[in-house]
Amino acid sequence: MKSPSIAKQLKRDRAFVLMFAPVLLYFILFKYVPMFGIVISFMDYNLFKGITGSEWVGFKYYAQFFENRDAFVIIKNTVLLGAYKLLFGFPAPIVLALLLNELRHAIFKRFVQTVSYLPHFLSNVVVASMLIMLLSPSTGWVNRIIEGLGFPAISFLQESEWFRSIYVLSEIWQQVGWGSILYLAAITTIDPQLYEAARMDGAGRWKQTLHVTLPGIAATVVIMFILQIGHALEIGFEKVFLLSNAATYDTSDVIATYVYRVGILQGGFSYATAIDLFMGVIGFLLVYATNQLSRRLGETSLW
Amino acid sequence: MKRKKKISVIGAIIIASMLAGCSNSGGTTGNNTEAPSVSPNKENTGESAAPSAPPEAKLRLLTDFKDIYPPKPDWAVWKWVKEETNIAIEQETWTGPESLALAIASGDMPDLFTVFPYDAQKYGPQGAFLDLSKHLDQMPSVKKFLEAKPEVAQRMTSPGGEMYHVLNDGLGAGNLMVWFYRDDIFAKHNLQVPTTWDEVYETAKKLKELYPDSYPFSFRHGVGTLRSFGPQFGIYPYMHEDPAAPGKIKYGATDPGFKVMVEYLNKFYQEKLIPQDWLSMDYKAWTQQVATDKTFMTIQYIGQIEIMNSQLQNGAHLKFMPPPLGYGDKAYIPKADYEDYGIAVSSKTKNLDAALRYLDFIYSDKGKDILSWGKEGETYAIENGKRKFLPQFKEPNDLRKELGIFTSAAYGFADIEASLSLSNENEKYSFQEAMKYQFPTMSVTPVLTDEERNAIMAIEEQLTKYYESSVAKFIIGETPMTQWDSFLEELNKIGAQKVIDTYQVALDRLKQNIK
Repeated sequence: MKSPSIAKQLKRDRAFVLMFAPVLLYFILFKYVPMFGIVISFMDYNLFKGITGSEWVGFKYYAQFFENRDAFVIIKNTVLLGAYKLLFGFPAPIVLALLLNELRHAIFKRFVQTVSYLPHFLSNVVVASMLIMLLSPSTGWVNRIIEGLGFPAISFLQESEWFRSIYVLSEIWQQVGWGSILYLAAITTIDPQLYEAARMDGAGRWKQTLHVTLPGIAATVVIMFILQIGHALEIGFEKVFLLSNAATYDTSDVIATYVYRVGILQGGFSYATAIDLFMGVIGFLLVYATNQLSRRLGETSLW
Repeated sequence: MKRKKKISVIGAIIIASMLAGCSNSGGTTGNNTEAPSVSPNKENTGESAAPSAPPEAKLRLLTDFKDIYPPKPDWAVWKWVKEETNIAIEQETWTGPESLALAIASGDMPDLFTVFPYDAQKYGPQGAFLDLSKHLDQMPSVKKFLEAKPEVAQRMTSPGGEMYHVLNDGLGAGNLMVWFYRDDIFAKHNLQVPTTWDEVYETAKKLKELYPDSYPFSFRHGVGTLRSFGPQFGIYPYMHEDPAAPGKIKYGATDPGFKVMVEYLNKFYQEKLIPQDWLSMDYKAWTQQVATDKTFMTIQYIGQIEIMNSQLQNGAHLKFMPPPLGYGDKAYIPKADYEDYGIAVSSKTKNLDAALRYLDFIYSDKGKDILSWGKEGETYAIENGKRKFLPQFKEPNDLRKELGIFTSAAYGFADIEASLSLSNENEKYSFQEAMKYQFPTMSVTPVLTDEERNAIMAIEEQLTKYYESSVAKFIIGETPMTQWDSFLEELNKIGAQKVIDTYQVALDRLKQNIK
């Protein structure tokens, strides 16, 4: 059977097309049009000569980045922060969702849920100043407790080895509740008959979770994982920037803060674009690789 | 809303043209006012009877944001500017250090910017700012000012002779970074004012014993504060002209005096004589410490002594302290009797004439007078032939906070007497004393050409980052002082010498031009 012509299809589905149009426009305007800006990473971009007037320099800025002695450290910091965020931050909302699912007291469950996703709505600036106050060696109560237990106070934000833990933990605190909403929704789609059958077979709560709930949300977990991989290298600029200082550059200087310094403060637009594009390419490769892997191992994949 | 605005604009235009008409018809007295450039020197001293009103204009101005005098749209300075020049100033402020770069990159540029010379010389050649040297004829007062102040003109001129900004002048003394201490506490415990860093250490230890939860000595600019300590050790931390060998560039971080300074700070940190979170202290945290008996010796802008004194209670009082000697034979504070801030004009401005007229006004004698003192009856009265600010203005900062006097871009050439007339004895004493201790050279690097700057930009970024993080770690004891030599070695490996050489070339060129 021949499907109707495109014009006819469009006419038939015009209501859907109309509803889709704003989204399409958004992506074209804000995601695709700016992409042409990346050409400036191959130019000696001058703001006032514009793209048409600036000189082409090929891979000069890419080479410059790799000649920089800090390049390796910055990439390492970015990748490690991303990896830790994924390693500890990704399972956290799943665990929370499974635990919440086991709660039988509806009001208590809702209360916990609400409290746990509130931090998601706090601005990073607020979170950073809260952390600075809480962790202060002279006035913060985290150190009061440590001192109360008889240990010396720790200057958390001045010691580079603490930076990653503080960043990842606060990130989990901020996002865990919000992230669990999706998994809770996925859990509700599991057929209750499966639980009944499991109980018939003598499965306790733990076995039910292991053999019914988890497989039931596996597809969601895999899709979320692939999406998260794509975001792994996107380390939020604000929080890193606000929490770092000269003493922690060793672990806290990431691509985003470096690009801010050389690109915006120093006005090296081409150089900054080159670095960002390079990281974008790596992020894309990671998503692609994960997707391939997942397709080979199971049926779930993004495309 | 929109319509209302339109109507008022049209109304203003009509009124303006009526005014212009009136004054033209009244201008038959033969007074030539059309072009002030024709008779530059006399015109600006004239009374308010200027026969022809200049065309009305509106200028957008982007300035920094200061917590101690947040900009207000109804500041009297902008009203006076409007009265004198018929230019309405619309002030916008920075939201962070990146604001200037973003304003330029976005293409939506205000007409006027406040800028540091470094930014002016970086963005100017790229085409962001107007080369004002080509318009000096339209700004006779600016021209006159620059002729009278060659050392200011020199700092704002690029190697090719371009001027991408005009520097402010007159208030440099306000930039002095001075030491001060709680004289009431010192008197109470019979403590002597320390004259060396060793004595600072001893005194701090005694104070720590008396006030165990205090940090007797504190400062709030993180690693940047080392620039203010440097002159007590004979150097600035970064590249500067060596006072011991004029004409030579010195990199202070490599000097033995610098190491001594870091050793002191390390000792202060280890013994909890400085706040343990000194790297993340801000203005608010600092004021809290000073106001709550948590610190007794500190280093800050000179004006902060009185700003803090007016907040202190129960007999608490701060007083200027001469800089203590750390290394070498004479202790200094950073040289600061110059201003490091200027005004640039956007290359894309649609109000070029108005922008130039504004600049010319703020550097004229009349502009200097009005923008420093305000107007008789409104801000000051004349008593015994001398000007005296009205009683509602109590301290120098009131002029800034309430009227906008001496705020960014609201003046060109300031009359510091206006500010000093409100100072109390303690502050006058501070200024008088502070002037005696200025380091012989400035903490500024000579102006580079675009090419030179691009060649060392990446190295400087790495150098700064490595220097800042290493010094911070030496001070908090994460790196032991025994590793100092490898720190110096690393600076060299990054390419410190190339940067020194580049600045040397620039300094030589500067000296050549003066001759």
